[in-house]
Amino acid sequence: MKKTPYLITSLIFVSLLAAGFVTNSGNNSTQQLPPKDKHPEVDWSIGCAECHEEMTPKVFQEWNESRHGQVNFGCYICHGDGQEVFYKKGKDEGCLGCHAAQEVNYKQLKVKSCFDCHNGHTLKFHNENK
Amino acid sequence: MSISRREFLKASALTAAAAAIGVEPLLNSKTLAAAAQEGVIWHKSVCRLCGAGCGVMLGVKDGKPFGVRGDKENTINAGILCVKAFYLHKMITAKNRLLYPMVRKDGKLVRASWDEAMNLVASRFKEILEKHGPDALAYYGSGQAQTEETYLANRLFKGFIGTNNVEGNPRLCMASAVGGYISSFGADEPIGTYDDIEHCELFLLVGTNTAEAHPVLYDRIVSRKKKHPSTKIVIIDPRKTPTNRIADLHLQVKPGYDLAIMHAIARILIKEGFTDEQFIKDSVVFSDGKDPISYDDYKTFLEKYTPEYAAEQAGINPSEIVQAARIFGQSPTAMTMWTMGVNQRVAGVFLNNLIHNIHLLTGKLGKPGSDSFSLTGQPNACGGVREGGGLCHLLPGHRSVENEQHRKEIAEIWMTTPEKIQPKPGKHTIAMFEGVANGDIKGLFVLCTNPAQSLPNLNKYLKGMSDVFLVITESFHPTETSKIADVVLPVAFWGEKEGVYGCSERRSQHLAKALKPMGEALWDGDVLIDLAKRMGYGAYFEHFKTPEDVWNEYLKTTKGKGLDLTGAPYERLKKVRGLRWPVPNVNHPGTGHRFTEGDPLFPKDKAGSRRMYFYAKPEGKAVIFARPDKGPEEPTSADYPIALTTGRILEQWHTMTMTGQVPELVRANPNPYVEINPDDAKAWGISSRDKVKLTTKRGSLTVEAKVIDRPRKGTIFLPWHWPESLTNILTIDAVDPGSKEPEYKVAACKVEKA
Repeated sequence: MKKTPYLITSLIFVSLLAAGFVTNSGNNSTQQLPPKDKHPEVDWSIGCAECHEEMTPKVFQEWNESRHGQVNFGCYICHGDGQEVFYKKGKDEGCLGCHAAQEVNYKQLKVKSCFDCHNGHTLKFHNENK
Repeated sequence: MSISRREFLKASALTAAAAAIGVEPLLNSKTLAAAAQEGVIWHKSVCRLCGAGCGVMLGVKDGKPFGVRGDKENTINAGILCVKAFYLHKMITAKNRLLYPMVRKDGKLVRASWDEAMNLVASRFKEILEKHGPDALAYYGSGQAQTEETYLANRLFKGFIGTNNVEGNPRLCMASAVGGYISSFGADEPIGTYDDIEHCELFLLVGTNTAEAHPVLYDRIVSRKKKHPSTKIVIIDPRKTPTNRIADLHLQVKPGYDLAIMHAIARILIKEGFTDEQFIKDSVVFSDGKDPISYDDYKTFLEKYTPEYAAEQAGINPSEIVQAARIFGQSPTAMTMWTMGVNQRVAGVFLNNLIHNIHLLTGKLGKPGSDSFSLTGQPNACGGVREGGGLCHLLPGHRSVENEQHRKEIAEIWMTTPEKIQPKPGKHTIAMFEGVANGDIKGLFVLCTNPAQSLPNLNKYLKGMSDVFLVITESFHPTETSKIADVVLPVAFWGEKEGVYGCSERRSQHLAKALKPMGEALWDGDVLIDLAKRMGYGAYFEHFKTPEDVWNEYLKTTKGKGLDLTGAPYERLKKVRGLRWPVPNVNHPGTGHRFTEGDPLFPKDKAGSRRMYFYAKPEGKAVIFARPDKGPEEPTSADYPIALTTGRILEQWHTMTMTGQVPELVRANPNPYVEINPDDAKAWGISSRDKVKLTTKRGSLTVEAKVIDRPRKGTIFLPWHWPESLTNILTIDAVDPGSKEPEYKVAACKVEKA
């Protein structure tokens, strides 16, 4: 595994994550890959979680301790496989693949995205733990 | 109508979201609907992967799959999907979809017309039938086939061709559970339902990696524990798995040596006063497997099974067994759940019995929160194959080929003569493929399964499968089986056909047809009907115009039986999220706990004051078995000192024909690997990503090592999904003598650095 170039690119990648929840390949096959979303070239023979556990431990830990992590809802669900499909930011349609029942709350909250409230990989509300 | 830009953007976002989830737009103005979401029609269906039975809505736009979402109306999953189901729509249009028939010419599969392919199949089958008799033909089906498909195949092969060589891959995964349920309770399938999860205070998980094999049910268990933190999770398994995240206690046993533990738990339950003596008196008898024994005889039998003895057998600490028994005894409610770790064993039926024993001793059955619950691995193993009678000894509606009355009943419905149905069981799966290997079977029809990858001890069977006249209906190509077939027939995939699936909790659910089959694919049922016609049985099959016609005939076979589905015609199934049998009429809501007062078959007059009456057993009494603590067929030895166990990972399913086509799922674990305990790895000088050679008496496989604290020391774990790395070259084909299910879970192995 070529970790040095990976480390540099992954740092860039992590900075992109700072905005919050990254991703979604989602439940909608019509989604298109935005041209600027490109995962750094890495050793693709390693699974995403296995690599990110080492290279971006904070992100991994946040996800791992979240409800998604508890039930093993993996990186690829939101981020894509990284090669054919890669998303930096989540799309609500992906969330709604499972959380369709949350639509009512979504409407009442009058926000544009799940990620306006749910924070990054922890999936907690922004104001939690503050 | 005039709205500001800000209002427009907000409304657009909401409308798009609403349309995406298949609800009415939040604003009435259709002009605000996002163009991409318009015209999407959502169809009610059921996942075609594991046996949980999750509701899935399939969105279709312009005749093409648009997406999937969990069905929030379905109480099994309440809108939640696992990672595999999340990509079902991508599987429909996978690159490996088989689009046209192929026949083998000069050693190569080449494109053919349906007419050419079916004429070849019918003529070869008729030729084999005439020259060698009906038992030279065989059918091998699937727990993924719809009930209607299995019913048609069963009808054709047993009722008209005249062979009981009818099997299906549930033999490889659930047969021991069937044997356990029938011998202990008198009838197949669980007593309770998933609803018990929300009332359960102890989950005893034996040989199940629920988090990965049944993720949505695991999610329900996680939710239960989160809401009620006092809920206990006890695991008995040779391996630490992701399920361990919620475990309170883990008995990490040697593979194949857990029967004594169940006896030791039973012994402690009796000695420490945790039994329900009134329940035992009312509803239980005892047996040594051959003859009736007394309760005292049973207690004497158990004396051998001290915690120390059982712990020595299993390689664990005796205190762990005592702790597990006390948790079970003290908990007001308990559900034991299990999967292949129990069933895929030469003592699979025995172990099922021993699990039932502890529930019968404590009366933790037939009431909310308590059950002895087998989790099924395939979406319609219960519905199509177990209930539909798609195994060599069965007839539809939990009937037996050996029972003359049963043959008469089914022959009448099938419009055949009772004499046409043989009174002797056909060849069970392993015997069937031995017949293929030795030439006894000369023509084999495979439907919706991949035995050239999934059979144990593959090297023994592959040549025979290449030599036999092999016909396969498949939605994907190539698979290991389609590659060696003589005729490959393209059939409709999930979403492209309608039918019924029956999941682990006795729930039958309708799957809608939402799409036209890709290419020249046809419904499997039409292929079977066409074969019947071409073989000369058309008069007995031409009345089947639709899957509903087939279902309606099948319902006749269930009338008045324990699995009565009379109240579940298509019309009703299309409206509801499934019905749990027995459901004897269209006004009946379905049954929660069998053998109790809520069961429409519960005989109140016979039961009197008894809480449970096992009406399929003499005197309504279930059986506690004093079974020997049989170990694995192939214990470790000096030459093969390591225990090999096999299994699944979250992101892949079976032989990867579907999930292997989804890049996101492949990303999680791109390559085949074997898990090795860190202590073993250190001793053997092996690091993660080293290539290691695994050898059993049956073959060798070189694979990448993953050093991880999951398997216990002295055990390796090998997932079986990857076709380029055939795990089943190594596995043993020894079977449970009762269920005939092979022991995939234990083999003796040696490990070398490659």
